[in-house]
Amino acid sequence: MDEVVLKVKDLNISYRTKKGEVKAVNGVNFEVKRGETLAIVGESGCGKSSLGRGLIRLFPRNIKSVDGEIIINDKNILALTEDTFRKEILWREISMVFQGAMNSLNPVLKVIYQVAEPLMVHYGIDRESAFKRGKEILSLVGISEAFAERYPFELSGGMKQRAVIAMALITNPKIIILDEPTSALDIITQENIINLLKALKSELGLSFIFITHDIALTSELADIMAVMYAGEIVEISPVEEFYNNPSHIYTKLLLESVPTLKEDKDLKSIPGSPPSLINLPKGCRFHPRCPFAMDICKTKEPPIFRVSGNHFAKCYLARGDKDE
Amino acid sequence: MNDELLRVENLKVWFEIRKGFLSRPMYVRAVEDVNLTLNKGESISLVGESGSGKTTLGKTILRLYKPTSGKIFFEDKDITNVDSNNIKWYRQATGLVQQDPFGALPSHFNIYRILEEPLIIHNLGNRSERRELIFKMLEEVRLTPVEDFISKYPHMLSGGQMQRVVIARALITKPKLVVADEPVSMLDVSVRVEVLELLKNLQEKLNTSLIYITHDLATVRTFTHWIFTMYAGEIVEKALTKDLIREPFHPYTKALLSSIPEPDPNNRRIIKEVPPGEPPDLINPPRGCRFAPRCSHRMDICNESPPEVEIANKHWVRCWLYKR
Repeated sequence: MDEVVLKVKDLNISYRTKKGEVKAVNGVNFEVKRGETLAIVGESGCGKSSLGRGLIRLFPRNIKSVDGEIIINDKNILALTEDTFRKEILWREISMVFQGAMNSLNPVLKVIYQVAEPLMVHYGIDRESAFKRGKEILSLVGISEAFAERYPFELSGGMKQRAVIAMALITNPKIIILDEPTSALDIITQENIINLLKALKSELGLSFIFITHDIALTSELADIMAVMYAGEIVEISPVEEFYNNPSHIYTKLLLESVPTLKEDKDLKSIPGSPPSLINLPKGCRFHPRCPFAMDICKTKEPPIFRVSGNHFAKCYLARGDKDE
Repeated sequence: MNDELLRVENLKVWFEIRKGFLSRPMYVRAVEDVNLTLNKGESISLVGESGSGKTTLGKTILRLYKPTSGKIFFEDKDITNVDSNNIKWYRQATGLVQQDPFGALPSHFNIYRILEEPLIIHNLGNRSERRELIFKMLEEVRLTPVEDFISKYPHMLSGGQMQRVVIARALITKPKLVVADEPVSMLDVSVRVEVLELLKNLQEKLNTSLIYITHDLATVRTFTHWIFTMYAGEIVEKALTKDLIREPFHPYTKALLSSIPEPDPNNRRIIKEVPPGEPPDLINPPRGCRFAPRCSHRMDICNESPPEVEIANKHWVRCWLYKR
């Protein structure tokens, strides 16, 4: 189970806008092993969706530059031609459940057709076998055959989300990017979908990249936690270590702002709001909101410190024994 | 009781829908048989999934919708059928904090004008008194320095700041009752707590009664005196906040509470038990208990409408399991 299925090295993505260059993703590094789930948490506008979409080379038209490496199957997919990428990597190796995808289902096509379509288009499989496989996948995600023949408007929100997950699964990828897969769902339905994802993870050995703003929810699925702030991963750690010893001040404050039922704690909030990605603050990007900011934080960008083992944090206050 | 501000009796709100011309009308039974009382200075959370009727109930209490049957009393005055010519005093006595601050503020008014509007409509004060009130209110919601904010337009503010303007607008006429409909669900986690605290402090300071509508049970723990759980248009459980969280009785409330994600890395190893399916269609709700089709404690008698049982002091539940 130690096979690395996805490796990202020094990824930078920037967009061109009228106001200037938007640095959406900055110097991102991580790797994901087979069967492992990496959760990426952050506030809106921190670049988490840009990163997710970047992993399948889905860039908007105003893209300015992309550099770094995304390695899948020993190939840097950023160096492949569009054609090779689509034929060899996209959907076969890595697929994505987009944010709000359940509301983008085609209203005039039956669910089964929409799920089976990639097989017919990408693999040239005939309609009958594609539909058969589609129904298998739908039943795997908990949609019965009767519902497969229905149209999206006849399905509830939770079922639509299941159908969208089935679409990402049908081409048998190793990695699935889940961009806010439950954000539009009710809490009990959310828990049902999380249970489904847990089952898929253990039965099929899938690797997930789970993008969310809900730090409490990540603990349901994540093996590794990454916190993004203003385009950077500011802390990355195995999940147990992450919750026992959060090291970046932003992470600590984020965890303290999560309301929970069981614990009797005073909730705190983080003053201010995230910086604009066009005009980034000098030094540490979090320093204007950080209650512990020191002089060095305002002038010099902090390096990434190893807190312990595989736990890294980009904060002067997280300095461990061994610096990197 | 002398402190009583609001009393709702057997309230029903049905919406008529027609599928096609000349066809028989059907009804969406959004709110069914709701009884509640709210005392001066007290607060209630209405908790439930989307489609449970909580927003409809809130808006009907504000008389933004007309009830189908039942009665609403405000300070012992029957306001159930007050027509639009005679309702202005009630508009002044009540306030609404909308869910989506981006949509609730008119984009062509600056902050000063947005806050002045209700004062002009209700004829409160002359020009200089209004100015004083607006400055005081903006200070209360901590949009300081006030001089910097009054001339700004909504798009120049962050989501959290906009929501404070919405709160200021709802409270500027010194209403006796405020309905806050998911006031923080559109905001980032890091600012949610701050906005909620602000709302709570103002509510206590002004001795306003509050109805807080939310699907997020985790935020209500420290927020209101009472929690009422709604399911499919009915209030299924009413209790003081700490009692409800310590010991929920209705199977639906139990499920809702256990579905709240807690930041705990052990979560990923367990599959939580959650009720299958989704809330019923309100055009054809199930007979008897509306939760029965999803309930693991279902009995034969659940085909009949369950009675409201006072299971403990000030704790009511609508479930056959507790009928002695």
